[in-house]
Amino acid sequence: MRGFMRLLMGALAALLLAGSLWPAAREAMAAASGTHHLIPLGQLWFEIDAPSLNMTQAGLQRHVAPWLWEDVVQPILELPAWPVLSGLGVALLLLRPSRAPLARG
Amino acid sequence: MFVHRRKPWQLPEREATPEAAVVAHAAAKRSGPSRRALIGAAAGLGGVGLAGGHAVLAQGRDPVGWWDAQVANDPSRGLYPAARNAAYTLDRPLTEAREAIVYNNFYEFGSHKEIWRAAQRLETRPWTVTIDGLVATPKTADIDTLLKTFPIEERLYRFRCVEAWAMAVPWTGFPLAALIRWAEPQAGAKYVVFQSFENRAIAPGFRQTWYPWPYTDAFTIEECGNELAFMATGIYGKPLPPQMGAPIRPILPWKYGFKQPKSVVRVSFVAERPVGYWEKLQPSEYGFWANVNPAVAHPRWSQATERMLGTGERRPTLIWNGYGEQVAGLYSGLANERLFA
Repeated sequence: MRGFMRLLMGALAALLLAGSLWPAAREAMAAASGTHHLIPLGQLWFEIDAPSLNMTQAGLQRHVAPWLWEDVVQPILELPAWPVLSGLGVALLLLRPSRAPLARG
Repeated sequence: MFVHRRKPWQLPEREATPEAAVVAHAAAKRSGPSRRALIGAAAGLGGVGLAGGHAVLAQGRDPVGWWDAQVANDPSRGLYPAARNAAYTLDRPLTEAREAIVYNNFYEFGSHKEIWRAAQRLETRPWTVTIDGLVATPKTADIDTLLKTFPIEERLYRFRCVEAWAMAVPWTGFPLAALIRWAEPQAGAKYVVFQSFENRAIAPGFRQTWYPWPYTDAFTIEECGNELAFMATGIYGKPLPPQMGAPIRPILPWKYGFKQPKSVVRVSFVAERPVGYWEKLQPSEYGFWANVNPAVAHPRWSQATERMLGTGERRPTLIWNGYGEQVAGLYSGLANERLFA
């Protein structure tokens, strides 16, 4: 179980770190051309799958509570994508269980 | 010689705020701040929950009372109610105003149906509408000048949302064809684009920078010239409330509601077919034409019936929303187009 959790969190961390490269690279290129702008998480989600973003918003606001989107989810989605993704990735790497000690005979 | 210079604080009697409006605002103020304002302040979320003054005042008030208070301050209030054009009749009872003004889509203010409170942040004066693109002379007109330019009338129309709810309401306004003639489009103008307001300070939706703001959608110039196409400036014998698209919006009643941008600030004449807000977001579900048809289901629900606001009555949806006699001819020769999505 410990080994599985370590593997899962490591894989997720790798995914997040790899995912952060795309917006980071785009921001770097934009900065190089003098048009720097931050890419928020919501922008990334929108580019990957706009319908699911829109349906999630409508679902939460209409069937759960309007404020849950406006006051909780939306502020998160407004955060810049690459620092959040890479930060989460690093956190997962640090928090994953340590390697199990080798059994001694 | 005695020269009388008016001090900045000296107002003519005609510009004084009516007593009823002052009383209504004072009463609203006593109702206290909104839940969202409190949540926002408590959570330290900056501007997120800090509703503007009007939104705060609107909380806890009866929506009709709030609307009446706004009407008392509206410089166009003297134009309402306008004479009803008897040519436009309904096959169903009118939807109660109280129901129609609290169940609205206005995505700049949120994706839920209770946006009427948040929409009170929309200030509708001063308000200008810019006419540009392929026209003889681009121009910008103040809304009150437009209202003086075009005589207004009341029309009873069915209104159908793509979400399968419907209402029957008395719009006040003027024929869209009159606006088109006044704009003097050039020969190359084939489509007319309507752009909604874009005041990022008052609507939380604009902070979602990934959406294709401002909200726009378009019609062919022939559709705009149809006798049913209308520029609505009022409803139920009063100026439009903000949540319904004040101070001006197009109404083409044979189309789904999402095609008709609210609170229009720009009307552009173009040669190429534009892609509207929803078509950009979800082209598989929303297209350019969006004409009402019970036989063409939305990918996620049926359009066979519609739920009337207020009564909850289910009625069979009418093709072209019941206006086929007036509009079906617009689409002859377009059989290959996705006319009903």
